[in-house]
Amino acid sequence: MSPQRANQLIEAGLWLRLSGDHQGAQKLFERALQLDPGNTRAREYLEGAGVAQGASPFPAPPTEPVRAQVLGRMTPVAAPSLEGDWGAWAEGQGGPEEANPWKTPAPVYLPEDGGDGGRVDALELLSREDESEPEVFSLPESDTQEYGVPPEGDTQEYGVPAGDSELDLLLRGAEDLLELDDHSGAVDLLFKAQELAPGDPRVEALRQRSERMLMAMLESKLGDLGRVPRVRLQADDIIWLNLDHRAGFVLAQIDGSVTYEDLFALSGMTRLDTARILAQLLDEGVISAG
Amino acid sequence: MAESEPLIGIDLGTTNSIVATVQDGQPVVIKNRTGQALTPSVVAVSKNGKRLVGGIAKRQAITNPQETVYAAKRLIGRKFSSHEVQDALRSLPYAVVAGQHDDLRIRMGGKDLSVPEISAMILQELKADAEAHFGRPVSKAVITVPAYFNDAQRQATKDAGRIAGLDVLRIINEPTAAALAYGFGRTVNGRVAVLDLGGGTFDVSVLEINQGVFDVVGTGGDTYLGGEDWDNRIIEWLVFGFAKEHGIDLRKDRMALQRLKDAAEKAKVELSSVRESQINLPFISTPPGGGAALHLNATLTRDKLDDLTSDLAERVVGITTEVLGEAGVRPSELKEVILVGGMSRMPRIVEAVRGYFRREPCKGVHPEEVVALGAAIQAHALAGQESELLLLDVTPQSLGVAIAGGFVRRIIPKNTTVPTSATEVFATSKDFQRVVKIMVLQGEHEMAQQNELLGEFVLTGLREALRGQVEIEVTFDINAEGIVSVSAKDRETALRQSITVTASSGLTEEELKRIMEEQREYLMAARLSDELKAKRVELDTLARDVVDALTRARLLPGGGGLAVDVMPRAEQALDHARRVRDAEDVGALGRACELLSGCLTQLRAPAQGGARR
Repeated sequence: MSPQRANQLIEAGLWLRLSGDHQGAQKLFERALQLDPGNTRAREYLEGAGVAQGASPFPAPPTEPVRAQVLGRMTPVAAPSLEGDWGAWAEGQGGPEEANPWKTPAPVYLPEDGGDGGRVDALELLSREDESEPEVFSLPESDTQEYGVPPEGDTQEYGVPAGDSELDLLLRGAEDLLELDDHSGAVDLLFKAQELAPGDPRVEALRQRSERMLMAMLESKLGDLGRVPRVRLQADDIIWLNLDHRAGFVLAQIDGSVTYEDLFALSGMTRLDTARILAQLLDEGVISAG
Repeated sequence: MAESEPLIGIDLGTTNSIVATVQDGQPVVIKNRTGQALTPSVVAVSKNGKRLVGGIAKRQAITNPQETVYAAKRLIGRKFSSHEVQDALRSLPYAVVAGQHDDLRIRMGGKDLSVPEISAMILQELKADAEAHFGRPVSKAVITVPAYFNDAQRQATKDAGRIAGLDVLRIINEPTAAALAYGFGRTVNGRVAVLDLGGGTFDVSVLEINQGVFDVVGTGGDTYLGGEDWDNRIIEWLVFGFAKEHGIDLRKDRMALQRLKDAAEKAKVELSSVRESQINLPFISTPPGGGAALHLNATLTRDKLDDLTSDLAERVVGITTEVLGEAGVRPSELKEVILVGGMSRMPRIVEAVRGYFRREPCKGVHPEEVVALGAAIQAHALAGQESELLLLDVTPQSLGVAIAGGFVRRIIPKNTTVPTSATEVFATSKDFQRVVKIMVLQGEHEMAQQNELLGEFVLTGLREALRGQVEIEVTFDINAEGIVSVSAKDRETALRQSITVTASSGLTEEELKRIMEEQREYLMAARLSDELKAKRVELDTLARDVVDALTRARLLPGGGGLAVDVMPRAEQALDHARRVRDAEDVGALGRACELLSGCLTQLRAPAQGGARR
């Protein structure tokens, strides 16, 4: 069970990494290695991630991002009233520790009545979806089969009303990731859940919450949104970065006159996606905060 | 003595707008708050519901096409059913719907807005730029319109000004403004051609200047020829080159297209002063099979650009020839040729014009600013200091009535100075005609149908007689405000009917009032929300600092020498801040900030070595 779980975590980690969340990915790889210390893939990816970061000619500024990540834990000896995260409740929300209806400790697996032997959890769902981004999985199709994931569209065989159970799984997965402090991954999962069950109040509530958390984290990383970010690198250096076209687009808009707030309006993407890209560019030292 | 109120001139363009003023006797352009002379005439509502105007709206135009309105000038004051609007609809990505009285509404941000409202957003932006420049309120302006604009379009432009909180002193013709900027009102007597090649339209006007009076002799052009066509040729060239190299069609990707558009315009502008331009667009596209994002690198030379756009330059000459021909003016008769609009920076265009007219055209250093400068000069003149330059208000188009056979009888020719009045006598056209219908028309075409119908009324109770025996006197009267009243009188019975025609922009007075009210509310709300936002940021920063300072104090033995009550009070202040943060009360937020900053000072005091006990 542990190795299987570990592999699922790795798949999820790869997925996150490709969507730009390296820290989240690293966390999942580490967790996978804890569960299954002999897992070579986990070790490989973990080392790979380290190498990739080390190899970057523009290492991230050392302290800032880490601080942002643990914003919620910044006040270890604080009185109860201070527990939690200013950023989070500043966004009109309680801190992460308080009033979370989904806070039950990670019930990852599907209840027994969920199917005949198919212990499917959210991470598996995660790992087999998304043909639209084929580059997400570097593994051949057969590898996925090994983990007992039913082929696409076979969910019905398990006698589970597809929408509902997948939804539950996704919700649990999201809680799982929130548990790991990975809001970025949780948002992705919840986005998927929303596609399955548009308007489901639980998904909506959880998604809003985690988005807000994530947004607050990203915004605190970006700082004052009225500031004007600047590109730190020469055009000749930029082409050697590892960016996708969306990051390329955002980077192209940074001309020394637009503010972060303007960029949110300009990007044509959601505020969250834009903030993520900006945070990534900032982390990699491509732009300066202004 | 208090300084006189600043006056501005506005060139409200199809693609770009400019505001100017006269300072120390010199007309100058007022740069906008991002430091540019040109403000793109684009408004948008972004994904997060924010209203964007100008450069920022233009830059997201392609990635957010449904919510971005550009070239509203092509629609202003027009009827929904007109063929100009129907033509425009085919190419516009934003939604246009019919209004209640055959006017049109533009759907933006989930609201149906009239065209003057859209234009008002641009005017408001320019007004704010001017206010930032002067450091005090600005409310009086002269706005320019193309010479071919009819009354409805002029009135709609005026309405836009009113909505934006501007008192529109005068609407003047763009070519007239350009000629004014060159001082031709004083120095030239004779005919002048003005060629205005802007971002989206090409207008040709022939003016007759006589002792400082400007007459529009002929107008024409193409409302779909401008700098954007040149940009599009560059985009096509780039897209084609990229497709050949990588097999990817960049036009399918909105983000790529937006970058191509920005880059094409930049390259075009550069090539007016240098012979070669580098186009570098890193990470323009991620290949469909995955893998590293691709870069686009290209070098465009001026010769290549001329090559790509030679037919466009030919069209400029062709249209000019046509308009001059229609006006019956030979190029050699012209006293001057003025080149206006950003595109006249292009060497190829100047060359083509020089070749056609066989003379050097007048072209300032900043040809796109000329119209706004002229408008500023006119505004200044209207204020009374330089009455010699005062333009008379004239009727922009002829006024007349429909007569038998579907023709028009002109009663007041265009360019007549107002106020004015004219009377003409008509006779019945049928035997035993008891009723006559008076249709008031505006325009230059001899067929009634081709003119704008301003209004109609019926005169009844005519004596039964053979045709031609009953005489009806029709009188047109235009007062100083441009309001036209038309009356018809049966000469025998003295029976009289009349109507008053006010130019209508498509908006009724009530609608206008409501819109102006909404505008005021919007501005108030925007100002309030800006203040709230700023205060919240301040509050958040202070709160974080207080939390930090508290944490530090707790870690130190004995609280780092703080007074007993400092920490609990800081906690209370934080609690209070938390409570008021989401309230829409700037005052409460301000007080919470003060409270927090007081706590912060106390918390930090011993750390700075100066224990105050």
